[in-house]
Amino acid sequence: MRKAIAVLFLGFIGYYLLSTFLLVPFGVVRVLEGVGLKYLQDGLQQTGAANLVTSIVVNYRGFDTLGEVTVLFLAATGMGALLYSKRPTERARQNASIIVKTGARILFPLIIILGAYVFIHGHLTPGGGFQGGAIIASGFLLMFMSYRTYHVNHVILSRVESSAGSVFVIIGLLGLAYGSSFLANILPLGTVNTLFSAGVIPLIYVAVGFKVGAELTALLDTMLQTVK
Amino acid sequence: MDILLIILTVILIAGALNTVRSKDLVAAVISGSVVSLIASIYFYLLQAPDVALTEAAIGVGLSTIIFMITIRRTGRMEE
Amino acid sequence: MVDILSYLGYTLTSFGVLFLLFGALGILRMPDVYNRMQAGTKATTLGAVGTIMGVGLINPEWFFKTLIISLFILLSNPISSHALARGSYRSGIKMWQKKDIDAYEKAVQESEENEEAA
Repeated sequence: MRKAIAVLFLGFIGYYLLSTFLLVPFGVVRVLEGVGLKYLQDGLQQTGAANLVTSIVVNYRGFDTLGEVTVLFLAATGMGALLYSKRPTERARQNASIIVKTGARILFPLIIILGAYVFIHGHLTPGGGFQGGAIIASGFLLMFMSYRTYHVNHVILSRVESSAGSVFVIIGLLGLAYGSSFLANILPLGTVNTLFSAGVIPLIYVAVGFKVGAELTALLDTMLQTVK
Repeated sequence: MDILLIILTVILIAGALNTVRSKDLVAAVISGSVVSLIASIYFYLLQAPDVALTEAAIGVGLSTIIFMITIRRTGRMEE
Repeated sequence: MVDILSYLGYTLTSFGVLFLLFGALGILRMPDVYNRMQAGTKATTLGAVGTIMGVGLINPEWFFKTLIISLFILLSNPISSHALARGSYRSGIKMWQKKDIDAYEKAVQESEENEEAA
């Protein structure tokens, strides 16, 4: 009896799910209607960012980005709380060879510069705060892997992270105070395709880049300290 | 171009199957990073370079490392 | 002038593609990890640099960017495969045919003695 009811129930749900999905047209280009068309038409004038994806991520959907940054922060905090130990064990791994050490010393500043470039030019070229932060964290990872005694100062990292997060929220509140809404643009738009354009978008992306880079670096250092 | 897409798709599906089925977790993680790499090429071909950059930096780089550290702490073979 | 540059670029690109093909063949045909790694590093580094610099010559306005990318590949590719080869040697992967010569064994012993002494 219960099985019959379950089958009936599943068939009921399946029927309505199927009929809903069949309503969605398959293989039809639906970019050029609704909100997508509006972004394509007005995005450049309204935000002044040459990279339209950035203008959507930081300007139109800026509140979502704040939420994403918060989620990442919570994940990093939870990881740190799980892996925290009062006596940090010394990493007992083998030293890397001299070739790797020298190469890491040469490559590390280049990787950091690449990450900074990616998040500073987020409104002009593909990329942005998340990507640049991840690249910076992978640069630090190279140093952790090559030098056994290389440590980062977690106090400085948490200061950087919290101040970057505060900058994001303060810019949003300034938009609420002087503009129309939270995260509204309060700076002049400038000339499209130059570095100082697009209002507050570069500022927010620089803050996100610092925040993500500091978070991921602290996470990797905490994880690597626990490895025997 | 079509041939390239077919080859990429075959490698993508094979890598995903190997990730799920492999008993050796290191091999599974490496297959997963191959899947991420090909997904990143796909994103680039579909004209989403922002997503491709994210996938290349996080999917191929950082998440692989985090999985490897976890495997180093626990155990290599799946029981 | 532009024509000469683009012909040069196409030549360099074909050269690079040829070496990438050699690298792929080497990975398929070589007997053990170290030989495969050598094929997959030397040949593909030359191939990638040739291809990218050829593209830079075909489009001269990209030349500076391709130069930077090539330098980055020249730095990172040998270092990473060196680290891989060293890791696989230290984790005890056997060579295909152990000949009389294993120069790295001595170096490993010396460095371990140094580490114990330190």
